[in-house]
Amino acid sequence: MPMSIVCDGNEAAAWGVARAKPDMVAVYPITPQSSLAEYISQFVADGIIQADLMDVEGEHTVLSVLQGACLAGARTFTATCGQGLAFMFEPYFRTPPLRLPIVMSIVTRDGITPQCVWGGQQDAMTVKEVGWIQMYCEDVQEVMDTVIMAFKIAEHPDVMLPVNVCHDGNYLSYGVSKAEVPDQEDVDAFLGRKNTNWHVALDPERPMAVDPLTGGAGGAGPSMFVRYRKGLCKGMQNALRVITDVHADWARRFGRPWAPLVEEYRLEDAEYAIVTIGSMTGAAKDAVDEARGKGKRVGLIKFKTFRPFPLKAALSSLSKVKALGVVDRAVNFGWNCGPLYQEILAALYHLRECIPAISFIGGLAGSDLTVDKFNMVIEETEAVYRGKPGPTEPIWLNEKD
Amino acid sequence: MGKAYYTIAIQPEKCNGCNDCMVACAQKKEGTTNPSDARLSIELGEEALAKGFALCRQCAMPQCVMVCPSGALRKDEETGIVSVDETECVGCRLCTLACAYAGIALHPKKQKAVKCDLCGGDPTCVKSCKTGALSLVTAGDLYRRWGDLEDLFVPGMSFCLGCNSELIVRHTLRRVGSNTVVATPPGCVAGVGAVGVNGFTATKVPVFHPLLTNTASMLAGIKRYYNRIGREVTMLALAGDGGTADVGFQSLSGAAERGEQIIYICLDNEGYMNTGAQRSSTTPFGAWTSTTPVGEALKGKTRDAKPLPVIMVMHNCEYVATACSAFMEDYYQKLEKAIEASKKGMAYIHVFSPCPTGWRFLPSKLIEVGRKAVASNMVPLWEYSREGESLRFTQPVDNPIPVEDYLFLIGKYRHLSREQIEHIQDMVNERIRILKALVKE
Repeated sequence: MPMSIVCDGNEAAAWGVARAKPDMVAVYPITPQSSLAEYISQFVADGIIQADLMDVEGEHTVLSVLQGACLAGARTFTATCGQGLAFMFEPYFRTPPLRLPIVMSIVTRDGITPQCVWGGQQDAMTVKEVGWIQMYCEDVQEVMDTVIMAFKIAEHPDVMLPVNVCHDGNYLSYGVSKAEVPDQEDVDAFLGRKNTNWHVALDPERPMAVDPLTGGAGGAGPSMFVRYRKGLCKGMQNALRVITDVHADWARRFGRPWAPLVEEYRLEDAEYAIVTIGSMTGAAKDAVDEARGKGKRVGLIKFKTFRPFPLKAALSSLSKVKALGVVDRAVNFGWNCGPLYQEILAALYHLRECIPAISFIGGLAGSDLTVDKFNMVIEETEAVYRGKPGPTEPIWLNEKD
Repeated sequence: MGKAYYTIAIQPEKCNGCNDCMVACAQKKEGTTNPSDARLSIELGEEALAKGFALCRQCAMPQCVMVCPSGALRKDEETGIVSVDETECVGCRLCTLACAYAGIALHPKKQKAVKCDLCGGDPTCVKSCKTGALSLVTAGDLYRRWGDLEDLFVPGMSFCLGCNSELIVRHTLRRVGSNTVVATPPGCVAGVGAVGVNGFTATKVPVFHPLLTNTASMLAGIKRYYNRIGREVTMLALAGDGGTADVGFQSLSGAAERGEQIIYICLDNEGYMNTGAQRSSTTPFGAWTSTTPVGEALKGKTRDAKPLPVIMVMHNCEYVATACSAFMEDYYQKLEKAIEASKKGMAYIHVFSPCPTGWRFLPSKLIEVGRKAVASNMVPLWEYSREGESLRFTQPVDNPIPVEDYLFLIGKYRHLSREQIEHIQDMVNERIRILKALVKE
């Protein structure tokens, strides 16, 4: 029988880790991830997790020891956020091209400066271009389920890539709700046998040189480099199919059908839609319900998988509406908008139709994205749908709080 | 690697000119007590160290053998002894002209070539020497033993001429063996292609590029997993001083504190020699580097080297040692201890690694640079084991030579002022004082 518990998102992630039975977990504490590291440590102390727990001197080493263990054949997990992720970036950047199926939670946190220990997705969004799979969760149960699914996705032979399971600092890390912990034997059957280093290993029984110098002004080096790069791109594209299949398998076995890539909410007859990512989606759905109650034909498009960008799934949803309000919990300083918004604009190009879209930025530095904020998002989006010229700059939702 | 053979070595400073060796040789070989009948000759000169030696070296490629027109001379492949077959010798003296060491002569009565035959492996002269000036060198024995082990790096790696690191890494991996994972972070060893270039590798065991910053961490992760699944695999780091003392120090420090089971060899060439000889924290005071240049306003580095091996002693390591390729026997003994210690925790060896290219000296001076570094106490050789809880000098220097005798061998110190030399001498004295304080009587 699955065990029902009341827990926050950090504990839920720790239960997901426990059920996935990793060989090694490395941790270094950082707010708001710390309690996740503590839960895992306690689970190891209690024998619930039988992994080698490496409590090391910093995030850089956290990911480095996991890379080493993974190259020797281990299943591995860690979690971090914010400055920890920034400090980890050197090995982080290298994990996808090494094709190491490491799973790491990012308990998303806003960036410094000013000094900030509260939620926001600036950390995860800043590292989105280097080849990690990124999935963003909406609630506590989805955190637990996605951590388990992440191992199956990462270790799939057509993927072999690291996965970030992102859950919002504060709102999911500390937000408590009821959750169900699946039975161990069911998870064992779901995950199957691990094989993390069939393709690249540091093992005297299979000697190989890992990561030789590759390049030059021409010839074999750079062309080999291109093959590595294309292989990584292919793995990312394969991941879209694998993520979908794994979610379907999960739904069949455990009865919880999470949208794998993009979720549509009340979109079928919608004229315009708001676009969300992460835990803000709960309040956004309530606002959509209220607006629907008032007769507004508004829908919602939620991105769960952000990397690789699920272009096909996104176009299928985006093509159903005529105006968009995209809400980001992070800033793209280069384009003066939210990062998800910029991605949506790139996707819209494929529709060969120019529809109005507004960038909303909110929920920074821990601020709450309430139903009222989404009411405003819906109003502004409806206005551009009705023909009002859209703003040329982002709308900052918490600017006047 | 070719075989290494025994030879008679002389330490001139120990010789008092007593002639006992020559008398003993003459007695054994000719039945006389006349030193001039001996097959070695030691002449005391005017100055204390100006002694002349005439003695066969049992050369690896003996010129005497090569020039002999009658095939009377041969080198025994088993023992290495160069011997004369008197029945073949025609007394032509070509061998005596070919030998640069005056190690072969014409027997005045027999008119045949005559020379030292090591008394078959137990030389009488060595046994007769009361001061220990003569010895049968046994280091070759070690070379021979290790030489039989497979070189696990391929030939033709692009190390610079006379590279100390090449000498060290080849010997090290031979001994550590193939059940090993080797980490070579960016630096000279990786730069010459140890991990490989464009799909080809130069190492016959699992090898990888860690980041410059995470060598100890990655090895720790690998080792922990093998321990978990019950496999004993050796972890070996061959890293430079930058990846160890500078940007790699955090991960090294963490791994040492946690007692990770790693053999960590730091090849300290006192800077970033692979990328054009820039300063590192182990660059000594006063040294020229490409980022501590010498000009009107600047005269080389303004800070002393970070004393990393001593810092590692204070880091929960199981074993810490310093080493130098001019004392290979010393290094071999330390490597043996490091291999054992790494079964319990971190074993750290800091190898002084003079760099002809980046330091500006001739490759042929490599071993001399090493010897004088040790003789001057610039590079004291010692070891520390956690079990013994004490530091021990393995090549104690009772009467160190002045540091300038070492410094002026090397181009990077050519510009030093008298004040800078004094600073270095004071630093050396101070560091020896600190090391001695760590020795438990």
